[in-house]
Amino acid sequence: MKLQMIGCSHHATGVQIRERLAFNTAQAGVALDDLRKRFPEAEAVLLSTCNRVEIYTACQDPARVPSHEEMAQFMADFHGLPMYEIFDDLFARTGEDAIRHLFTVAASLDSMVVGEPQILAQVKQAYELATARESTGPLTHGAFQAAVRVARRVTLETTIHRRRVSIASVAVADFASEVFENFDDKRILLIGAGEMAAETLRYLQDQGGHDVTVVNRNAERARQLAEEWQGKAEPWERLDNLLTTADLVISTTGASEPVVSQARFKQIEAARRQRPIVILDLAVPRDFDPAINDCLGVYLYSLDDLEQVCRRNRRERDQELPAALHIIEEETARFMADLHHRATAPIITQLREGWHQPKEDELRRLFNKLPDLDERTRGEIRQSFDRLINKLLHPPLESLRSEAGQGPPHGLLDALKRLFQLKD
Amino acid sequence: MAVDPTLTAITCAYTVAWLLEASRLFSRSAGRGLAVLGLVGGGFVAETCYLGFRTASATASPLSSSFDWCLLAGWLLVASYLYLTIYHPRNAIGLVVLPLVLLLIVAAALFADRRPIAPQPASQLWGAIHGIFLLLGTVTVMIGFAAGVLYLVQAARLKRKLPAPSGLRLPSLEWLDRINSRVVVISVILVAIGFLAGVVLNVAARGDRELSWSDPVISSSALMLAWLVAAALFEGFYKPARHGRKVAYLTVASFGFLLLALGTLLLVDTRHGGQRAKRLQRPSQTPAETAPVNASGGGP
Repeated sequence: MKLQMIGCSHHATGVQIRERLAFNTAQAGVALDDLRKRFPEAEAVLLSTCNRVEIYTACQDPARVPSHEEMAQFMADFHGLPMYEIFDDLFARTGEDAIRHLFTVAASLDSMVVGEPQILAQVKQAYELATARESTGPLTHGAFQAAVRVARRVTLETTIHRRRVSIASVAVADFASEVFENFDDKRILLIGAGEMAAETLRYLQDQGGHDVTVVNRNAERARQLAEEWQGKAEPWERLDNLLTTADLVISTTGASEPVVSQARFKQIEAARRQRPIVILDLAVPRDFDPAINDCLGVYLYSLDDLEQVCRRNRRERDQELPAALHIIEEETARFMADLHHRATAPIITQLREGWHQPKEDELRRLFNKLPDLDERTRGEIRQSFDRLINKLLHPPLESLRSEAGQGPPHGLLDALKRLFQLKD
Repeated sequence: MAVDPTLTAITCAYTVAWLLEASRLFSRSAGRGLAVLGLVGGGFVAETCYLGFRTASATASPLSSSFDWCLLAGWLLVASYLYLTIYHPRNAIGLVVLPLVLLLIVAAALFADRRPIAPQPASQLWGAIHGIFLLLGTVTVMIGFAAGVLYLVQAARLKRKLPAPSGLRLPSLEWLDRINSRVVVISVILVAIGFLAGVVLNVAARGDRELSWSDPVISSSALMLAWLVAAALFEGFYKPARHGRKVAYLTVASFGFLLLALGTLLLVDTRHGGQRAKRLQRPSQTPAETAPVNASGGGP
């Protein structure tokens, strides 16, 4: 049995190459069909995301698994690229390393943002697509089902997924979501046009936020952004009115001094009647006077506040990383032991069958010599013979199981074959 | 005083569940949520059976003693907790709700009278309305208190810009705010109906059954109702009080008035609910326990 992986990821391959090697869902289906034609006995699963393109292949007969070169050639051919252009960007894993890699990817420990939850869904989709295209088999079934289980275990037993480390995710998930139950009925006001605002807005829209208003000193820029975010643009002069009705504000202007002073906000506060407002001030220098946080119903977070939480989350996540990696190691060892043990199954079956025939012959001879035995006595004798065989077989089978836990028990299998004259 | 093994077991289940909830502050555990649900669910089933048994074996108005009344209030709180926990499993609502349940059970076991109230056909309906609405009002005020406390804790954390502890998630301010606002209105309606039913009951009562209007339980209940009305009016006419900390303070303060009314019912020597001389002759679980006493109502 052999399982291997070849592909590229954000760790060592630039986005230009990853883009050229990526497969969309339709392409992935076609690629799996092509693989099946080219390597009929190999199982295959293709995982393609923004940050990685990986093809997992496996076969019961190690000699029939496509080599890394063949897989690289397949990828190059599929995308119409010369192989020399991509070969150096690809990396490969075999056997235990491939399983460990798959588990690490599924548990989001190999992601660009460690702990991001999307990757598990992408792994599942890749497996489902391969199953639908009938390119999976016992090895890939076992490996991918175990990967999903391992990812869940890491999520349950560590806090690694709860520790967000990007400003936008902390702002939305750790603070805004704790103030508001949902965002689909909230008025979101975007002041300015910084890059951070775009990312935060993306998170909010993922959570259902859709009522977006954009204000910018440059009316044309405001219009463009409003179009981009499917919101509406308002003139800069209406800022106070908009702050009165907004529930969530993202501010990223390039102003050199605060856009909203405490005195200015006091007037807005009276009109708001203490309705809660979350202000994400992502500008440097700040757009909102920090003293505004003292107003009733105002939850003001500056870039510094959010970065502080990110740093702390990063520290705590790093502390959790060894525990998560320990789970990966434990599960990899368990999976490999199961795999190796499964590989011994034909020999065990032969061994049992090899002992079964002499037992039946002996019983027949004995019962012929003692024809007066009743059925109950015959049953007892038969049971005794079975127990004896099980007891005799127990030590070699236990040694085989124990050896399989350490790695492929080739030596022991050879010895058993020679000792008991078993055939492959 | 005899120790009631069923009540002790229920109290232990809820206490362990609360300790498990509190441990969310310090660590994260995979099976804790299920363990808490199992313990509270088990306690709830046991309490249901216990109350069912008391109803079945009552010779007078069932579940009308202050003992049963406290247990019923706790039972309703647990039911609300289970409902909320199933729909919001990650929120540590039990941290505040379970101590209230324990408070009611302990108060019932230590201070409440177990004797039911004698049935009075003429006023049975008003007595039932009085008891049931005050019971529901009490539970509503307690839920409001829990939501108010959680709101204040959550708001303080968010103002101080602190991330939530890893295993502990509190409900959002918006959700808590909604609960608080509703509780202010619903509790005043329930308590007002219960209180007015008590007034009708007392007006209809004759002779020895009639209570003095200056009875401490009536006074403290009237005070609680007055506060709830004031809180509802404040919230209704002063818009800023419909949101945020103000409404949370209102619900927390309402709980203070509820404690006063409950404390008066359970601790003060009064004829309300057949409480007179109860500390002189506290029956254990004997036939005397089920002997009815003369009284006019079931609640505080």
